[in-house]
Amino acid sequence: MNILTMLFKNLMGGSRTLRFPASPEVTKGYRGLVHIDPALCTGCAMCKFRCSANAIVIKPGKGEFVWSYDPGQCTYCGRCLEGCKTNALTQDCECPPIYLTEGELRVSYTITRKPPAPKAPKAEPAAAGQSESAIAAGGAQ
Amino acid sequence: MNIITALARMLIFPGLLFAIPAAWFFLWVERKAVALMQGRIGPPFMQPFYDFIKLLGKDPPHRPGIAGMLMRVWPLIAVASSAGAVGLLPVLPASGGFEGDLILLLALLEVPSMCIIAAGFSSGSIFGEIGSAREAVLSVSYNIVFLLAILSIAASQHTFSLEALALLPATPLRWLGVLALLVCLPAKLHLNPFSLPNAEQEIYSGPITEYAGPELAMWELSHGLEWVASVGLVATLAAPYIAVWWIAALIFVALSFAIVLLLSVVASATARLQIDTTVRFYWQCTLIFAVLAVASALFMRFRA
Repeated sequence: MNILTMLFKNLMGGSRTLRFPASPEVTKGYRGLVHIDPALCTGCAMCKFRCSANAIVIKPGKGEFVWSYDPGQCTYCGRCLEGCKTNALTQDCECPPIYLTEGELRVSYTITRKPPAPKAPKAEPAAAGQSESAIAAGGAQ
Repeated sequence: MNIITALARMLIFPGLLFAIPAAWFFLWVERKAVALMQGRIGPPFMQPFYDFIKLLGKDPPHRPGIAGMLMRVWPLIAVASSAGAVGLLPVLPASGGFEGDLILLLALLEVPSMCIIAAGFSSGSIFGEIGSAREAVLSVSYNIVFLLAILSIAASQHTFSLEALALLPATPLRWLGVLALLVCLPAKLHLNPFSLPNAEQEIYSGPITEYAGPELAMWELSHGLEWVASVGLVATLAAPYIAVWWIAALIFVALSFAIVLLLSVVASATARLQIDTTVRFYWQCTLIFAVLAVASALFMRFRA
């Protein structure tokens, strides 16, 4: 497009700058604020390990732990979500809200540490051998 | 011209009382026009004034030694010379203007550019030095065209006097000279496509990288006054002579405004050129134009 035509269109079309508190529309997959579901969190601290901006902090306690998230430090990279095995973390698909006080959006949850899940009993080698042979026999038939 | 008229011209119109608000106004018009053409809101009307006040309120950086003293002095000299250049503009020739000539005005207009070059080298910053070197090369390139344009105007009208030039009716050669001056203005005011010396994205404003606080405020003011003086010179040469002073003043302001808008459109529509392209542009294209204008002016003069 001719640059002068473009300038004229901009001049006549008005400004595209949005006034506060309006925010731009985002596309699908946009990475916004991170949220946690305390019921699903196991306290594995993988999110903290993967957070290079130190936005997620986990303070261990006796039988519980404190999970804190500071959006002011977050780079919204989404690596914490990728590392969360139990899908306890989710991310908004909208721009983070504008805040005026430092730490206004900071959240902190005290989560009771869940007992480790009981290990599944190991199958006996003999039984396994039987089943394998049974399958093999079935296949032959 | 008596002393009161001279003082009124230097201090009131088109001197300091008019020039400083006009400088802020021109800076705002340029920023606002560029913003609107880029689809942005742009700064509010008072923003250049707020910027100036804010910078004045900051503590200047401590700079010991001669280099530090020089760095403090350059912006003051630039402001003084720009303000002097504005005061010389023959805006109201009918009311008894300054009896100076174009040479003095040109000299005063050139001082801020030299101060910027010196400031960049005084700062010791690599960005400042690169910016100063660019400014020096650019200055050598566009000033020849600028001077030849002024010469062609003076030769076509048989005078260097600002008053006489403002009173005389314009000739076709004068229009050619005015056009050449207009081509030089983006380089003189560091606007795109000739904004090499203060390229923000490359060399962080070049010579004024190391400036802050009141010293930077002075540079901003000097830049604004340069706007008024340069644009005012072209507006004065382009404006027809009108005896009624307020109409003359109105036409001067309107023409200046139109030139600022034109420069803003050029700045918005173009990208920054490389230094060799810029130099080639002035030496190959515009120089031929200016030389032709001077030759024609001299020929007409001898024929007359």
